[in-house]
Amino acid sequence: MSTTAAPVPGASREQLDRLEEHWGERPSLRAWLTTVDHKKIGRRYLVTAGLFFALAGLSALAMRTQLARPEAGLLSPQEYNQLFTMHGTAMIFLFATPMLFGFGNFLVPLLIGARDMAFPKLNALGYWIFLFAGLFMWASLPFGAAPNAGWFAYVPLTGQQQTPGLHMDVYSLGLLFLGIATAAGSINFIVTALKLRAPGMSLNRVPLFVWAIVATGFMVIFALPALNLDNAMLFLDRRFGTHFFDPEAGGNVLLWQHLFWIFGHPDVYIIVMPALGIVSAVLPAFTRRGVVGYVLVVFAIVAISIISFGVWVHHMFATGLPRLSYSFFSAASTIITIPSGIQIFAWLATMLLGRLVVRVPLLFVIGFIVTFVLGGFTGTMFALTVFDQQVTDSYFVVAHFHYVLVGGAVFPILAAVYYWLPKITGRMYHEGLGRWAFWLVFAGMHVTFFPMHLYGLFGMPRRVYTYPSEPGWDAWNLVSTVGSYLLAVGLLLVLAGVVHAIRRGRPAPPDPWGGDTLEWSTDSPPKPYNFAVLPQVHSLHPTWDESSRESMGAGAEADRVLADGRRTLLTSELDGRRERVVEMPASSWQPLLLALAMLLFFTAMLFAWYPVAAVAAVAVAGTVATWLWPPRRPERELGVSA
Amino acid sequence: MSAHPGPRARLAGGLLFWYAVLGGAVAWAVHLLAGWGVDELTCASGSDHIGGVPLRAAVGAAVALPALATVGALLAAVLLWRRTHLPSEGEDRSVGRGRLLAVVGVWSNLLFLTIIVLGGVALLVLPPCQR
Ligand code: HEM
Repeated sequence: MSTTAAPVPGASREQLDRLEEHWGERPSLRAWLTTVDHKKIGRRYLVTAGLFFALAGLSALAMRTQLARPEAGLLSPQEYNQLFTMHGTAMIFLFATPMLFGFGNFLVPLLIGARDMAFPKLNALGYWIFLFAGLFMWASLPFGAAPNAGWFAYVPLTGQQQTPGLHMDVYSLGLLFLGIATAAGSINFIVTALKLRAPGMSLNRVPLFVWAIVATGFMVIFALPALNLDNAMLFLDRRFGTHFFDPEAGGNVLLWQHLFWIFGHPDVYIIVMPALGIVSAVLPAFTRRGVVGYVLVVFAIVAISIISFGVWVHHMFATGLPRLSYSFFSAASTIITIPSGIQIFAWLATMLLGRLVVRVPLLFVIGFIVTFVLGGFTGTMFALTVFDQQVTDSYFVVAHFHYVLVGGAVFPILAAVYYWLPKITGRMYHEGLGRWAFWLVFAGMHVTFFPMHLYGLFGMPRRVYTYPSEPGWDAWNLVSTVGSYLLAVGLLLVLAGVVHAIRRGRPAPPDPWGGDTLEWSTDSPPKPYNFAVLPQVHSLHPTWDESSRESMGAGAEADRVLADGRRTLLTSELDGRRERVVEMPASSWQPLLLALAMLLFFTAMLFAWYPVAAVAAVAVAGTVATWLWPPRRPERELGVSA
Repeated sequence: MSAHPGPRARLAGGLLFWYAVLGGAVAWAVHLLAGWGVDELTCASGSDHIGGVPLRAAVGAAVALPALATVGALLAAVLLWRRTHLPSEGEDRSVGRGRLLAVVGVWSNLLFLTIIVLGGVALLVLPPCQR
């Protein structure tokens, strides 16, 4: 099962040279700025999202330091408002989803046996927009102009009258800008997974991580328009005096909440779903067997991604709608726990029936299960309307969603970092350092957030910059703060482990874990063209099955080498039947230029430099037109064969 | 079934297939939007009738009809599953993925039916406009 020797490619030396010539890039500044290679873009997503995580984490540490004692004066109320809003907004929008998209970018083509994403230039554009939108939002903090009304920005608090200044304009424009990247990334994942799978990879042979990423992509496509609409209306209300949320002029304040949560609740799953996919990807290597109940896990992924759109009103149980209306959402909120539970039981059964190999990625998976289940447990408590109304806006809620988000996203992300580090960097990490990091992160997480349940139940409201000394509040707050420092040390050790691996780590073999999916049957790190021979897939675990492996070696066929150009195979959506060969685009300046023009547009809108915004809009239109202009060369010359 | 079904039969087969897999999901979406929308908007207008029909009956229809559609999808999914669940000699790839989607269909239709029925139970015990 496990293979550590480099796979012998079924392609000739000459074919390998030609592949290298078409796909390889010589290191240069130009190559760095124009690359469309999904692996490089994926790595950049990971590093940039890691940077934003560090900034949001430092904001959290500042808040916890302020809250260590009652009546502390380290932060002013205005600073605290900006810190918790930027912390929440960045963790959700600039860390969790982009980090998981980073893994998706790096891994999806490798997992399905393709040479790149379906739209490589769009992929590069997505990254540049993500980077610029993140900087756009964070840059407002040193000027005291950062968003300051909470990550879900309820009107009327966020209207111009209650929140003057640029704060909420940065929020609405920043998220609109970022949304372009998220939507582009999602479309790319969906098309890649549907059209570029290796021949033979019918739907029942698709790795669970890919199912999860595709489901996430669909959720984004359906959920994001609601958020974009909301933010566009907020910006128009604030800047141009429209009245979408103004009841006196026929608007409606609840409209914001409905639209926000139509996006926001699926967004919880948008964050958690790929993370759950990571868990399903990591387990087989460390239990030496496939995930139990593959079909049921697929069902759970599909069901969650649909039901998550029918639960949003449970965030609004305190708004006074008719009880019968609540019930429809209560029913869905209660039932959605079933597919979530199925996944948990599938993983537990996998661990029970398999042979556990306790390495760092598995430790993080176990940490995830413990933490996420606790978060899910308090979550089902909210599905009971009366309980929800009792604890809404208290620290109990803060405890709940950190259990879900740290448990459901950070732990799987850390499992993924350790699991795929050898593939991404070509180096092994230090096991002892990794174990220390795990235990510190795990302990730090629970010491920080468990007490929040308690002082939440004792009545401490969330989003307060300080608090009077109350029984049960002071000591537990101090415990939370100590925990957050412990957690920070653990995360620093993770970073140290990554740096250590890159600088001093042992060279990684192609398949250090005996993994089951296709990325383990190519080099670590993979060559620019991913696979010298595109595989022919015969099972759900191609790296464990001889015939799939052989299809890349002795069983290689010329029509899966495709060395005459930047080419990959297009296959059918359901059954993975070979359709035709497609030519993939090479590196280009267009993504970077388009993202820069968009950055100029959003910055100009923020500062109300409307003529500049008009020029930027023309630049955007011009770049898009050049991008989409049909090439003059005939299809044959482009390398498109029938 | 003939070995090579005509285009109309293929279209009908395809539609039935996707009805089996996704019918319950679509029915539940209709149930949720119709049930919630009708209830909230009618109550907000201060009435408990909609176009002369009592609100309870209107919401009841938004429960019963989608529930029936979901039962239909469930039966279709079971049929699909029975056709695909026995591994055949030299099995075609499409049979394997048909089986996968059939199982997904059976379970998801059951799940969506449960949600719709729970909404129906709420309708029996709660007055439509109570806040
Ligand atoms: C790494 C350790 C973390 C610490 C110490 C931490 C701490 C905090 C604190 C102190 C608050 C403010 C509570 C308040 O005043 O109401 C907060 C809010 C929040 N956190 Fe975290 N957090 C951490 C990680 C995360 C992660 C990983 C996520 C998401 C992926 C996240 C998402 C949020 C959100 C959405 C809010 C709400 C912001 C708002 O009220 O608008 N946090 N966190």
